[in-house]
Amino acid sequence: MSLKNVFENWSTYRKGAEEGGYHTYEHRWTMAVNLDLCIGCNACSTACYAENNLAVVGEKRFAKGQAMHWMRIERYWDEEGKDHPENGASFLPMMCQQCGAATCEPVCPVAATYHTPDGLNAQVYNRCIGSRYCSNNCPFRVRYFNFYSYYETSWPEPLNLQLNPDLTVRDKGVMEKCTFCVQRIRVAKDKAKMENRKLQEGEFTTACAQACPTTAIVFGDTMNPDSKVGKLWQQHQVKRHVYKQTKEDPQLRGYRIFEELNVDPSVMYLDRVRDTTI
Amino acid sequence: MIGKMKRRDFLKALGLGGTATLVGCDLPTTVTLEEGKEDVVSYLLPEEYAIPGIAVWYASTCTQCTAGCGIHGRVREGRVLKIEGNPEAPINVGKTCQMGQAGLQGHYNPDRITAPMVREGGRLVPTTWEKAQALLSEKVGAKSTLNADRVAWFTGTLSGHQRALVNNHLDAVGSKLHFAHEVVNANVWQAVSRDMLDDPMPRIRLDKAKLILSFGADFLATWVSPVHFAGQYSKFRTAADRGALIQVESKMSMTGGSADLWVAIRPGTEGALALGLANYLVANGVNAAALTAEVRDKIAAYDVQKVAGITGIATAQIERIGKALKARSPSVVLAGASVEGQAQGYESVAAIMLLNVLLGNIGTTIEPSGKFPFPQLEAKSGGTGDLLAFTKAVEQKQLDVVFFYGANPLYSAPAALKLDEQINNIPFKVVLAQFPDETAMHADLVLPVSSYLEDWGTHVAAYQPEQNQMGVQQPLMQKLYGDTRGFGDVVVSLLALRNTAQWGAFTDSYGYLKNVFATMKAGVGAGALSNDEFWNNSLQTGMVKVDAPARKHTLKPVVPNVATNAPDAGFPYYLVPSPRMGLFDGRHANLPWLQESPDQIAKVVWDSWAEIHPSTADKLGIAHGDVIKVESEHGALEVKAYLIKGIHPDAISIPLGQGHTEYGRYAKNRGVNPLKILKRITDAKTGELAMYATRVKVSKTGKQDVIIRLGHSDTQHGRRLARTVSVDVLKRTKGA
Amino acid sequence: MVIDKDINEQIKWAQINADVLRSMENPRKAYWITFFVCIAMVACAVVAEVYQYQTGIGVTNLNNPHMWGMYISTFVFWIGMSHSGTLLSAILHIIHADWRKPIYRFAEAMTTFSLLTAGFFPLIHLGRIWNFYWVVPYVSSRGIWPNFRSPLSWDAFAISTYLSASMLFLFIGMIPDLAICRDNAKGFKKKLYGTLSLGWVGSDRQWRHFRKTYLLMACFLIPLAVSVHSIVSSDFAMSIMPGWHVTSFPPYFVAGALYSGCAAIITLFIMLRYFFRFEEYMTLAIMEKTCKLTFAIAMVWTYLNLIEFAATWYGHDPYAKEVLISKAIGPYAWIFWTMIFCGSVVPFALAIQSWRRHMPTMFVVSLLLNVSMYFERWMIVAPTLSMSMEPHQFYIMYASVVQWAIVFGSFGWFGLLFLVFVKVFPSVSMYEVKEMVFHRRRLINEEAEATHHRRTGDTSGLTQPA
Repeated sequence: MSLKNVFENWSTYRKGAEEGGYHTYEHRWTMAVNLDLCIGCNACSTACYAENNLAVVGEKRFAKGQAMHWMRIERYWDEEGKDHPENGASFLPMMCQQCGAATCEPVCPVAATYHTPDGLNAQVYNRCIGSRYCSNNCPFRVRYFNFYSYYETSWPEPLNLQLNPDLTVRDKGVMEKCTFCVQRIRVAKDKAKMENRKLQEGEFTTACAQACPTTAIVFGDTMNPDSKVGKLWQQHQVKRHVYKQTKEDPQLRGYRIFEELNVDPSVMYLDRVRDTTI
Repeated sequence: MIGKMKRRDFLKALGLGGTATLVGCDLPTTVTLEEGKEDVVSYLLPEEYAIPGIAVWYASTCTQCTAGCGIHGRVREGRVLKIEGNPEAPINVGKTCQMGQAGLQGHYNPDRITAPMVREGGRLVPTTWEKAQALLSEKVGAKSTLNADRVAWFTGTLSGHQRALVNNHLDAVGSKLHFAHEVVNANVWQAVSRDMLDDPMPRIRLDKAKLILSFGADFLATWVSPVHFAGQYSKFRTAADRGALIQVESKMSMTGGSADLWVAIRPGTEGALALGLANYLVANGVNAAALTAEVRDKIAAYDVQKVAGITGIATAQIERIGKALKARSPSVVLAGASVEGQAQGYESVAAIMLLNVLLGNIGTTIEPSGKFPFPQLEAKSGGTGDLLAFTKAVEQKQLDVVFFYGANPLYSAPAALKLDEQINNIPFKVVLAQFPDETAMHADLVLPVSSYLEDWGTHVAAYQPEQNQMGVQQPLMQKLYGDTRGFGDVVVSLLALRNTAQWGAFTDSYGYLKNVFATMKAGVGAGALSNDEFWNNSLQTGMVKVDAPARKHTLKPVVPNVATNAPDAGFPYYLVPSPRMGLFDGRHANLPWLQESPDQIAKVVWDSWAEIHPSTADKLGIAHGDVIKVESEHGALEVKAYLIKGIHPDAISIPLGQGHTEYGRYAKNRGVNPLKILKRITDAKTGELAMYATRVKVSKTGKQDVIIRLGHSDTQHGRRLARTVSVDVLKRTKGA
Repeated sequence: MVIDKDINEQIKWAQINADVLRSMENPRKAYWITFFVCIAMVACAVVAEVYQYQTGIGVTNLNNPHMWGMYISTFVFWIGMSHSGTLLSAILHIIHADWRKPIYRFAEAMTTFSLLTAGFFPLIHLGRIWNFYWVVPYVSSRGIWPNFRSPLSWDAFAISTYLSASMLFLFIGMIPDLAICRDNAKGFKKKLYGTLSLGWVGSDRQWRHFRKTYLLMACFLIPLAVSVHSIVSSDFAMSIMPGWHVTSFPPYFVAGALYSGCAAIITLFIMLRYFFRFEEYMTLAIMEKTCKLTFAIAMVWTYLNLIEFAATWYGHDPYAKEVLISKAIGPYAWIFWTMIFCGSVVPFALAIQSWRRHMPTMFVVSLLLNVSMYFERWMIVAPTLSMSMEPHQFYIMYASVVQWAIVFGSFGWFGLLFLVFVKVFPSVSMYEVKEMVFHRRRLINEEAEATHHRRTGDTSGLTQPA
């Protein structure tokens, strides 16, 4: 955010998410997570650790609640007084929802978290001063803070050789979160630019979507008409920039978590299905 | 780069990149190479295929479990950075599980053994390969006075050319003793399939099924080929007529977490339930002509009422399952480790297989597997029977020299087998190890082997999908530690000690493999290619696709003599030592990513816990987080109680994986190992250890501890984050 | 009913000067004990902060979801504390409540010092404290500005403005007194007070300008004080978190601020009265008035509390309602009920005359009120974090020794600044007390007025024998 922006674009700038905000998007990176296919296996989560240089914090720090899993699989029971969970568990992969009207963005005092023309909530590690307001204001609680210099203990030699050189290892005092594998986006965009063409659907995907053994996670650019994820959103009649979906068929399974808060998440979940006719 | 080997040569050895994906930004400026300075390696002077900043993907095969998934390794600046599934591999079709992802941490593990070690004066001290080689020559060389029958190999599941090499070595020394040990296996299932269908590992087509009834088969996490089955499961769930999953088990496995109907069953009574269901089906008009009269009599004896009494499942519930089985065809009925691991495991699995026969699933969802054209390369599937046989041989001092590789019996052998005490009955124990595990620390000679990302190999998984394949494993980077050697290299050098004439020509397994690939070319229908083309193709795709003629299923119904365990007043509960995706059987306990990755159901990290049903806990006065004592005839474990409803009230479940006494900084002295307190009960037919048959008693210790877990709420507080709809909705919206 | 005077109007002006100047010389032993205790407390905090700086914020036991903890609640507490000085010196000045005169000086000092204490907390709490200045809009070659939308950057402006204004106000109000000090000091002190008194001679012109400036500053400071705590409240109110996203937060915060400030004034009133033997100036009558004021504010605070609960209860936000319920019955329930008891029930002690004239009782009561106010700040910060929207992340945080040490040390720091101030500067405004005495005297004794009609600040009284 610059002063120029404030003064020159104020009227568009203050536009709400309902009208798509003030952004002119180049891409709209989006996800769809089919909860009926999620088996809770953690492959996505571990792939994320491998791709994004996530620190292993160890038992004690994990116990304190200082772990760094950008992608976590939440497991809920809904047995409601039964002796056993007859319908199994509910698994919910939870990562940064890259909200269109992200609540983390306006509260950062130094604008370290901002909105990119790709529709991502970017986090500038170098700019972050660690006020942690963004995390407090995130309804999904998916922002993770470097409470320590985790690198000191996370990658004893030679584990450090595994670190992905495409992104940094974060030091203490900065916030981090799922980036939709922005380093992969970057590489793919650069390549497309060098070859003077548009980015194609399926050219790359995020580490979690790539690993997911059941293909529960679909990632893509909804601005690309060929994209699988865009079609899924359309199929489920989930629209952006609204806080309440008006579906022709209200039984379609697509929904966004905490949509009513008007944060415009970029992740659509599909209802878990249970066969109660057995 | 280490040593004199030129980068270019090294990369040639890799096959010039698998399905190379060149990605990145502007190409860096190339600087002309100065004459005579070819040894200088600098990022300013990159060699042809190692461009700084640009990653290349090489194909290989995952060895984190025995499923044999094809992988791609992302290599940049000479380091492998990320593992992804190989989309061309029929087993996993581009997907990986978390253990596959974490393979990197085994490769880069800070606790790897970097030099040979020899036992001197009771302690393991570092030595050199020359000295180790001399020692080996003395003990098992051509001039040694070894007694052929007293040499043995003790390995995990072994296949491909590693198995061929071990067999060659055993032949060379004149022994036949190859023990293959895996804690997590499907040996009983394989034995039943072999006996009933004449097919040791039939293909299971979950994607064709409309209903899966799984008796404790954790096919999405630990059973047979989880990533493959997860892919099929995806198709099964997204089919126009969404398939339904019924999971019957005594402790909720990861697969159970995805079940439409999860039924808790009294441990060891699965066979009775299978017969009860057969009874229901026959009574409700399912044609039983495929079964013999004897089997039908057997089934008739198990009416639903009786089965309800045995299994502790309500009659209505059994009928509900029966009705679903009848209504939804084709179905597939599976039996997993908790069924196999009983004294009557074989009989129970047979009863379950009979359901498949009765429901006509044989040939529809259970297809004949292909007959692999190279039987010598097929997997020697490890089990626990071999561990028992090995222990017996050790006890009777029948072994002089044992080579260990890929198995850790001193961790996995129950205390009742007394292997710890008797291991020194073997005068010379050679352990080919990557990590200082329990077995390695008891060795007389430790030979450091390369990681699977630095080594050559081929893998033929026991479970083969529609397209049979042999996975090819190639080094993705130079060795991290120059003093480690590939497994094949070690065996080739052992062979050279015995038979220099034949094996002395190979300096390493690379030469050997290249040689054998040339000879097997024709056998896989690639005779038209030149040797190099075939070799390069195999490396580039990371596999050799093999056309295997399908077997024919010949039904030989076995009469399942299902029996149930008598109650034991002294030890009223069953111990369920459940394997989990992640730490698996304990082999991945040294990988920090997997330690920090929560258990899928309990969500606990870095620790052991004992799952116990709230009603049982209530009866014993145990609260969540209490440290309890779980005691069998052979020992006791102190572990935190975790109250969970996904378990039968008669069962106490302690997950496998922790409780290492060695195995590096991440695993050592962490949690408890439930295998240690198992009783020596075997399955009558197969001789496998009945791992789920141990009875325990539970008492409080009075201590309390915090359970370290991910997430702090088990319910959604009505907030509907993960929403659930009934399948009707799915049908109304036409599958959307 | 006891009827007594705000101040003994017969007191000699020279007596006033002597008494106040004496306070800068020889306090009781208790002063020095408190002084060294404060230094020890600050030392604890310094050690803890160095450790935290070296190791990372994690040593505080903060976690996800508890990204904020006692640092922020203590920050709000100290900011709140600062409001009473402004209330006494500016608001009461404007409405001509002259009983404030003997006590406003230390209240004003309290404002400044609690702001100086509060200001540390947002910094200590930062993950990367070394980059704190990035929240300030300075011109840099990178063309990067802070995010003007963030309440935290408003905080930076608000607090620094309020701090500089209140320091200025404190200083301006002290000028005539500094001149008295100058005239009575020797050597180095004379130089110091001489410089600080800016050449004050008590001329008519100086007095005229002084009065105007002082009034102007007072008028400037009042909206500033209200806005500062409103902005601090927007740290919470501007978020979307249940329990924070409350429209009534600004007035609620201001009321709480005045409340805690008044309670602190009672505490310090009693302490100074004892330390410096100020019984003549800090009279029980003034004490009573302060207590009544505090009682009134306590009731306003209670009312606003009820408003907040009712608004949440009758609002349709289920998350906020759950947070509210968890406040009452959740893990922080004991804190909540202590807050309600000490904040809404204990102040009734202020309504009982015999109690409010009993200094030990009032000392305890005032401390209890501030306990309630501290708990109130914790109840604002913590329950929302421990129970926001995402049930998977419902978790509570137990503050580590480091966090406790720094919070503990902040009280030492505040105490230290305050003790140094009252020792170095006149903690009772001499000229204003004289003014007050003068006016009272005139009301009682027209005759005396005629004799003693001189301008306040006249130093001639000093020549009289003490």
